[in-house]
Amino acid sequence: MVSGTFVEVAPPLRAREAGVVPASRESWWTRARRIAPPYLYLTPAVVLLVVWTYQPLAQTFVLSLHSWNLVPGTPMEEVGIANYERLLGTPELGRSVWRTVVVILGMLPFTVVIPVLVALLTRRVRGRAQGVYRALVFAPMLVAPVAGAAVWQWLLDPSAGAVNRVLGTDVNWLNTTGTAQLSIIVITGWHVAGFAVLVVTAGLTGINPDYAAAAQVDGASRSQVTRWITLPLLSPTLAFLVLMTVLLSAQWTFPLIDTLTQGGPVGSTTNIYYLLWEYGFRHHDAGLAAAAGVLFFAGFIVVAALLTRLAERLSHHDD
Amino acid sequence: MSRIQLQGITRRFGPVTAVDDVWLDIADGEFLVLLGPSGCGKSTLLRLIAGLLPPTEGRLWLDDTDLTHVPPQQRDLAMVFQSYALYPHLSVARNIGFPLRARKWPRAEIRAKVAEVAATLGLTALLDRKPKELSGGQRQRVALGRALVRDPGAFLLDEPLSNLDAKLRTGTRAEIAELHRSLGTTMVYVTHDQVEAMTMATRIALLDEGRLAQLGTPSEVYDRPASVFAATFLGSPAMNILDATVRSADGSLAAHGKGIELSLGIDAVLPDRPVRLGVRPEHLTFAPAGGRGIHAVVTAVENLGSEEVVQCLAGEGRIAVRGPRPLGVSAGDAVTLTARPEHLHLFDSASGRRLTWQPESVPASV
Ligand SMILES: Nc1ncnc2c1ncn2[C@@H]1O[C@H](COP(=O)(O)OP(=O)(O)O)[C@@H](O)[C@H]1O
Ligand SMILES: [Mg+2]
Repeated sequence: MVSGTFVEVAPPLRAREAGVVPASRESWWTRARRIAPPYLYLTPAVVLLVVWTYQPLAQTFVLSLHSWNLVPGTPMEEVGIANYERLLGTPELGRSVWRTVVVILGMLPFTVVIPVLVALLTRRVRGRAQGVYRALVFAPMLVAPVAGAAVWQWLLDPSAGAVNRVLGTDVNWLNTTGTAQLSIIVITGWHVAGFAVLVVTAGLTGINPDYAAAAQVDGASRSQVTRWITLPLLSPTLAFLVLMTVLLSAQWTFPLIDTLTQGGPVGSTTNIYYLLWEYGFRHHDAGLAAAAGVLFFAGFIVVAALLTRLAERLSHHDD
Repeated sequence: MSRIQLQGITRRFGPVTAVDDVWLDIADGEFLVLLGPSGCGKSTLLRLIAGLLPPTEGRLWLDDTDLTHVPPQQRDLAMVFQSYALYPHLSVARNIGFPLRARKWPRAEIRAKVAEVAATLGLTALLDRKPKELSGGQRQRVALGRALVRDPGAFLLDEPLSNLDAKLRTGTRAEIAELHRSLGTTMVYVTHDQVEAMTMATRIALLDEGRLAQLGTPSEVYDRPASVFAATFLGSPAMNILDATVRSADGSLAAHGKGIELSLGIDAVLPDRPVRLGVRPEHLTFAPAGGRGIHAVVTAVENLGSEEVVQCLAGEGRIAVRGPRPLGVSAGDAVTLTARPEHLHLFDSASGRRLTWQPESVPASV
């Protein structure tokens, strides 16, 4: 009789047990060479940002604590937070903030609603016509605001202007308190709508067409596809446009206000930036203007942070 | 009832003809597999059926309705996309319920139906998740659920298994086949995978550069390939194709070539004719050296676990032989290979179309 025993098959040998050590750690020099390049590439941009953005910002803050009339050679006088107290005490500040809110609300149709409609419709235009159409929509963006303002001033002229003739009205658009603000909003809207259309179009192209195709096969009508699929998936783009509008509307209107109404009539088009500009360069009160600048900067940071949070919460990302 | 008929369907994209004059009659309850290599127009054909693309030419019928110009919403077809196209902003439950919501079902009924479908697909625990929180296999099930939630006239599936790993693919393949058996609904299934086609189809429509290369049951397509393309597309390793000449000797036909002499088992006298000779790897056997057959030299032996594939060189042609392991040969061996006449396929040397033998009806002389 043969006797024997079962022997377990040994697992594969691991190198470490055999006394072979894994590759040594890299030296600090190769490590530095591996990690440094991105920072080196970023340095020029950071330097420019510091010189042109953060340093002036710091100087503005310093200036807001002084009293100065902008005349070179006259001494700056340190006044503590007096400028801020003065600023918050003026009734003009509240009014200009409210007018800014009105401008922002008035701009939203031009930066969000109309662009979405136009972009959705132009999607159905095919071939070369699509390019031509987009160019036409985008063209106003390329007109310098001041040049545009001159043309609009002429169009809105109370006696001979084309607008009154077409509408059959007799309105002094830029010199009446209600219509002046409206005119500024419409002209600014005309300027930026083309850009917004471009942004929305880019957002639409970024959506995988399979979703709309699937929805159609699932039985959704064209308007259901738009409401249930396209618009929700476009929400990051829309959030971006809203954010842009809130943060930049007051800046976009500035050249128009300066050329067309100079903040009037009776201050009805004076928004926060125009107010700041008036303090600084009309009243030569650099400290007050700087205080306003610092305040608006802080305010917009808060608004931007809140809006970004909200957008993150509400928008759907296609991955 | 849903019989889908394609009559001369053609689709061009500029200079590219993606689908070229396809005629198909898909019977009610059939599992038709559209098979072909990548870029042969399978997805385009499926999108044409779904109505997502208008055909350049041709007509499409569902039973007695001309669907050619009917928008996809009204076609009553359900489609599973290769990318699954799950709506990323909607939960699994809302994804599956989407077709019902579009049909304006009451909320409570949608919820009940979704729960039912989710239960059959094992998705109940995932109903509140978003698609990006799902694995590939789970996404595939949700896509399937979205198609199953209503009772469509036919299912269109575009490579539904191509994004799954091998094991999951085998399991899901069986499930889809089972689903087809239990529902009895017409399915048009696109794949480039011959195993899926062979195992699931009631009929295979093989596409080559937008044209229908062959239409038939899996065994017909495998056993009697209509062209060199069909012969080499199905089967693994692919059918061996060798250049040869059909020659008659002693009153019977044989295929001759460089180091090749194989009897065709046909008694006839014909002038010589150049052909392409096809024989599947599993139909080749090793014969005693020096006899009639294909004389070749073994270049490599591949181990598939249960079987072996022997790669050989015969003249300038490569030949693969497949058989149970071990086949008992090794690289460098000189071998002689034979095959039974009924396992030899002949194709026209110019067109690549299959040649069949048609005995002439000899006038009764006795
Ligand atoms: N929208 C399109 N525009 C232009 N060419 C297309 C389009 N869709 C498909 N094609 C072309 O049609 C051919 C078939 O594509 P497709 O049906 O996707 O192939 P498959 O699904 O079999 O891989 C390819 O050559 C592809 O480039
Ligand atoms: Mg495809």
